[in-house]
Amino acid sequence: MAPPTAVQLDRLTKSFRVRRPRGVGIVSRLRDFVRPQTRDVLAVDALSFSIRHGERVAFIGPNGAGKSTTLKMLAGILHPDSGEARVLGLVPSRQRRELAFQLGTVFGQRSQLWYQLPPRDTFELLGRVYEIDGATHRRRIRSLTGLFELEPFLETPVRQLSLGERMRCEIVASLLHGPRLLFLDEPTIGLDVSAKATIQALLRAESDRDGVTLLLTSHDTGDMEKICDRVIVISGGRLLWDGSIAALRRQYLTSKRVTIWSETERLQLAIPGVRVITSAGYRAEFDVALDVTTVGHVVDAALKQGSVRDLAIEDAPLDAVIRALYASKPDIAAGAKPDLAASVKPNVAERVKPDVAAGLQARSEERTAS
Amino acid sequence: MKSRASKYAAFLRISFALARRSRGDLYGRVVFFVVILGVFSSLWTAVAEAGMPLALEPRAMVWYLAITEWIVLSAPPLHFDIQEAVRRGDIVCQLGRPVSWVGGVFAEGLGMLIARAPILFVTACACAGLITGWMPPLRVIAVVAPLGIAACALIMALWIGIGLLAFWLGDVGPVSWVWQKLMFVFGGLLMPIDLYPGFVRAVAPFTPFPSVLARPASLVLQGSNAGAASLGLNLLGWAALTALVLTFLFRRAAGALTVNGG
Repeated sequence: MAPPTAVQLDRLTKSFRVRRPRGVGIVSRLRDFVRPQTRDVLAVDALSFSIRHGERVAFIGPNGAGKSTTLKMLAGILHPDSGEARVLGLVPSRQRRELAFQLGTVFGQRSQLWYQLPPRDTFELLGRVYEIDGATHRRRIRSLTGLFELEPFLETPVRQLSLGERMRCEIVASLLHGPRLLFLDEPTIGLDVSAKATIQALLRAESDRDGVTLLLTSHDTGDMEKICDRVIVISGGRLLWDGSIAALRRQYLTSKRVTIWSETERLQLAIPGVRVITSAGYRAEFDVALDVTTVGHVVDAALKQGSVRDLAIEDAPLDAVIRALYASKPDIAAGAKPDLAASVKPNVAERVKPDVAAGLQARSEERTAS
Repeated sequence: MKSRASKYAAFLRISFALARRSRGDLYGRVVFFVVILGVFSSLWTAVAEAGMPLALEPRAMVWYLAITEWIVLSAPPLHFDIQEAVRRGDIVCQLGRPVSWVGGVFAEGLGMLIARAPILFVTACACAGLITGWMPPLRVIAVVAPLGIAACALIMALWIGIGLLAFWLGDVGPVSWVWQKLMFVFGGLLMPIDLYPGFVRAVAPFTPFPSVLARPASLVLQGSNAGAASLGLNLLGWAALTALVLTFLFRRAAGALTVNGG
């Protein structure tokens, strides 16, 4: 019988011992050589969470938060100091090889492909390693390379592939044996917007089709939004947030962005909590602090100054939401470098809440009547 | 059992394919081999002509050196590959496979060895034959070749042991340097161990080095296969001991592995 959860962590802890140099002088260096000083760095601190089968979870946090270390422990590559992890009912540190048959891993900054050889050679090797029978393996290669549009590159040495092509090969290599669980550690790192979108869509499609559970770490909020339904945030090795992306937005969304195309040139709104981002010609963009005012007030004020031709209301980028989350837990996130802020946020789908839309429609009708 | 063997055969095949594509390394070794044999054959000839005492005749010494150098140059230095994998973090991908990591590395080494050893063996025989104008009996060469390959495999396994130290040390350069020099001295790379000082002769049998270098090459010197069976058993014994040490080392190394960042 399949275990109830795909991944279960219970107070998982891991620390690393790192050298602490005494100084730069020759005496200090000699002393370091004879009797090195070390300190323990706690990478993962009593981390607990669980993931159900088929879930797609973004596992995020600032640099050094312990994300990759956790993934490596869950894959059985690193051994925890204490606590327990169960992945697909197995203990990774003791049952690494059994687990490997059901687990796929993509480490964006590492490669499992033979650099000098074409991807097909690596795929053939992996077929043997994962004990896939010949016919199934050939069918799987055909299907995945078709899906990931890799047929033209199968005989090209990996070193001659672009980063996007190589990353698609890495993902295919990790999916060949039909894993039930896929760990993706920054799978879109360094890719252009188009390659990212391709990989995001393919991962989502593969998960939908085969019910593969995904656990993904990324600094790109686009990855989280396009692939995942749930987000786990850690910092300093500790759990900061665990819930749906929508719930994260609801709880930490502090502002909205309102863009108005009006018949008034250089629209200005003097409302507390409303900041003009850009105002040129007949288009003006405002940042609305939701704890000070409402989007409705902004729309009202705009309508009072003239007719509104069009209106767009966007959530603040997920980056900003996550920054707000870090800011709300300064004790935990102290020292964290929320480099998520540096990532580019693609346009959020335009959304107008039903009540706002209804209000807008009513006002527009009133104006038409008048 | 069959599928397990086929996994390692797959590693062997892929590294054989890789070795065939990377011919530059092999050509470099062939050139180095020719130069070394040329230099040392001149040296031994000069020593003999100067009337200095030399236990063996120069042509035998050239053949001895050809065989020891063939073994040393054929065994791939796997410790550097392991060190690089640990440093770069690619070890993370390798450890995630349902296969013995040490077994996979060894099989990869065998693939490289199979691509490299036959060509170097032909080079060794051709060079030594041309330089000395003499060939050992073919039946001796037919026994030396497989024993030499087995010795290469043992050297490779020992290099894996050195490579595993990278899990703790990061850089195994200094350790491998010392290990290599010990192998050259106690293995009798340049001349038979009988010609070395007493303490070297006393210590050498307690190391695996004479079995991988001096003893296979000595078969060519003596011109017969006497002792070949005992050498084969000796290599098996050292292989079993090395396998035990590697198993122990890998278990400890896996627990000590640290891979920082992504």
